[in-house]
Amino acid sequence: MNIPIERGKVVTVARGQSTSVAGFSLSKGLGVVFRHWRRAWFEKQHQNVPATASESAPNAGNDKSKPTAFVTLEDMSKSYGTFTVEYPEQRIKLPEAYRNMPVLLYDDETGHELCTSCFQCQRICPPQVIHMTQAKDPASGKPVPSVAEFIIEYDACMSCGFCAEVCPFDAIKMDHEFELSTHDHPSLTVYKRDLNRPVSYYESIAPGFWAEARERAYKKLATNMKRRPGAIGIAPHLTEKITAAQAQAAQAAAAQAPAAKAPAKKAAAPRAADTAAAPTDKEAKLAAIRARNAAQKGGSAPAAGTAADAPLPTDKEAKLAAIRARNAAKKGGSTPAAETSAEESPPTDDKAARLAAIRARNAAKKGDATPSEESDQPAAETPPANDKAARLAAIRARNAAQKATEAAEQAADSATSTPEAPASSSEEGKPLDEKAARLAEIRARNAARKKGDQE
Amino acid sequence: MKAEGTMIKTEELQINIGPQHPSTHGVFRMLVTVDGETIVDLKPVFGYLHRNHEQIAEVNTYLQNMPYTDRLDYFNSMANNQAYAMAVEKLAEIEVPERAEYIRVIMVELTRILNHASALGFLINDMGAWQTPLAFGMREREKILDLFESTSGARLMCNYFRFGGVVRDLPPDFVPRLQSLLTGLPTFIDEFERMLRENEILRIRSEGIGVLPKEVAISYSVTGPVLRGSGIPYDIRKAEPYSIYDRFDFDVPIGTVGDVYDRFLVRIEEMRQSKRILEQALKQLPDAEGGHINPKARQNIRPPVGDAYTRIESPKGELGFYLVSDGGQTPYRYKVRAPSFINLTPLSDMCRGYKVADVVVILGSIDIVMGEVDR
Ligand code: SF4
Ligand code: SF4
Repeated sequence: MNIPIERGKVVTVARGQSTSVAGFSLSKGLGVVFRHWRRAWFEKQHQNVPATASESAPNAGNDKSKPTAFVTLEDMSKSYGTFTVEYPEQRIKLPEAYRNMPVLLYDDETGHELCTSCFQCQRICPPQVIHMTQAKDPASGKPVPSVAEFIIEYDACMSCGFCAEVCPFDAIKMDHEFELSTHDHPSLTVYKRDLNRPVSYYESIAPGFWAEARERAYKKLATNMKRRPGAIGIAPHLTEKITAAQAQAAQAAAAQAPAAKAPAKKAAAPRAADTAAAPTDKEAKLAAIRARNAAQKGGSAPAAGTAADAPLPTDKEAKLAAIRARNAAKKGGSTPAAETSAEESPPTDDKAARLAAIRARNAAKKGDATPSEESDQPAAETPPANDKAARLAAIRARNAAQKATEAAEQAADSATSTPEAPASSSEEGKPLDEKAARLAEIRARNAARKKGDQE
Repeated sequence: MKAEGTMIKTEELQINIGPQHPSTHGVFRMLVTVDGETIVDLKPVFGYLHRNHEQIAEVNTYLQNMPYTDRLDYFNSMANNQAYAMAVEKLAEIEVPERAEYIRVIMVELTRILNHASALGFLINDMGAWQTPLAFGMREREKILDLFESTSGARLMCNYFRFGGVVRDLPPDFVPRLQSLLTGLPTFIDEFERMLRENEILRIRSEGIGVLPKEVAISYSVTGPVLRGSGIPYDIRKAEPYSIYDRFDFDVPIGTVGDVYDRFLVRIEEMRQSKRILEQALKQLPDAEGGHINPKARQNIRPPVGDAYTRIESPKGELGFYLVSDGGQTPYRYKVRAPSFINLTPLSDMCRGYKVADVVVILGSIDIVMGEVDR
């Protein structure tokens, strides 16, 4: 049947007769399969891509140690049939337009974040997973075109890309990172600290898109930077770097002994924070997340957020210990009411500190036992060093606790966490520390002994 | 057994197929009453994937609904985008530039090819040709998805259309890549067709199975390849040309019997016609000066009070969006006329009298996506 209609016709599909003699269709089908197999075997361009190339992928995911090779679309179009790309050694090169989850950009040189907290992205987000607070000038209390905290719930984000489209300051962009699966569900609520990416990173994944946006983005950033007093607007981990440098100088002058091994690691710590995508120190990150969670449960979210992010320019184990100690202290408080009382009344505080000291000591001991963490500490097994480490840890735990208290107090009036908060508190806390540390040390030792007796 | 020719006493039995069954194409349950192997009655039960799509859409702004439409029929997000964008454009009277219309047509016709390629692959899979033909279909689909990814940023949830155009222009290598894809397409289609035509097992499993007579098809308001397979030349691109479909030459294939085999052939032919449209569209595609989006079109719109219904010929049938505006930021009413849902309703009429094993094949030949059925 052929009925002509406008610009075409109606055609009846011919059903036809089966041309096969019974039994032959099987061999015919196998013939088709064989033909495909043969072509796929001989036209295999992507195989020329070595499984381990020297070029490292910008989106190589968590495991940066393994180099990645890209299979480009061109390789694929030259290949035939279905084939296996040997992920994760080989990857398909992602197109520039690819979008997965949004990230925030900051300028490489000045460290200033492009975001001005204009709330456009928050408003347009269809599942409403973007949350932010605007930065305030601590002197005048007036809002500053900068963002204090920025949270995206990655687990509910639908990767629509509207936030990146609507942002007038080109501050939020869609990342190419897709290896986000984790057992740690709360870690998918991502804070500004882990959202920040340098502009150079975005340029490397989407050069064409950034070339378009570059000029207007920097122009707007320059205007906004003028309206940001002090360190407001600088990516927190870069503020940390400065603080770390200052603290290092002070420490080197004051006490040489405990800092003997620290500097080597000090250099490494901010770097790790630098590329948040590469959690070199997984344990610490996990601990930080846990600390944050516990704090959230406790009810003082932003404060604890800062505390968890507080710079501890020290060896990792102590950092971990401090975080754990703080966690424990929080858990001891458990309810917000109890927590406040813990902060105000010395007895409870003391208890928490003692607990912290025990934990710190334990952690320090544990740290000594693990060779990977302490491989560069030759005196790992000698008791004096052990004691020293414990003392150090105790000091730091105490410090952290204090910082947490102070941050909480600050947060109480401003409800936001300003980047300088940790820096100032650490400096003010210095003179107190000496005494408190000694106290904590004694307590830790006592507690350890008591514990030993019990066991 | 007695030799006198009396019937053996049999009993009817009710069995469940699904809701979690690999051949039900999603979370779908069929309550089947069988007499031996023969189907006496079949009740489709759906709603397992209900996620309040229409109600969510009524609290979202018009633009925020665009990515949600991707999730209706997740094989054809581009087609869903187009239907929704057209509805809003009609409501708010937004013009679409030439080039954007061509890009839209290219995307939706590519969607049709990928939908049919995978649907037929799954159909053959359901008939027992395990995986190999499906892999051939999926291979073509992957090539198209690569194009989508480089254009829209995502393979399935494209979210590519905006009111008054599309979100960004085609990447520079799109046209050559599409051309090379089109060059290889006829080989694939021919081979795919031969695979069924020349295989007596597949023919036995499909010929005369699941017949849907014309009258029944009309009374259920079935659309798309299922309707055309029953011999009714109804294609919205011809019956009520929307967008720029009146500028292309293409044929409307129809079947004669209305069985699984006819639906298969109609889909094969539709892929060929889509290829024709794509070739013409590439030839006529205006250069980038036309712009890919109407610069005057606002995305955060408040359409005037009124209502609009638009429909397109999505790969699965008539996809319609009905919107009512009360002048606010969000639609007052948002309704989807989903082809999968309506095509699924005559399932019991199509299955009655056939064997249990045929149910799977008949269901596969309707080509449903539960995301769209349940909404
Ligand atoms: S990311 Fe962009 S849109 Fe969102 S608040 Fe910051 S500047 Fe505004
Ligand atoms: S990509 Fe979409 S869903 Fe995700 S944060 Fe941005 S606007 Fe929200």
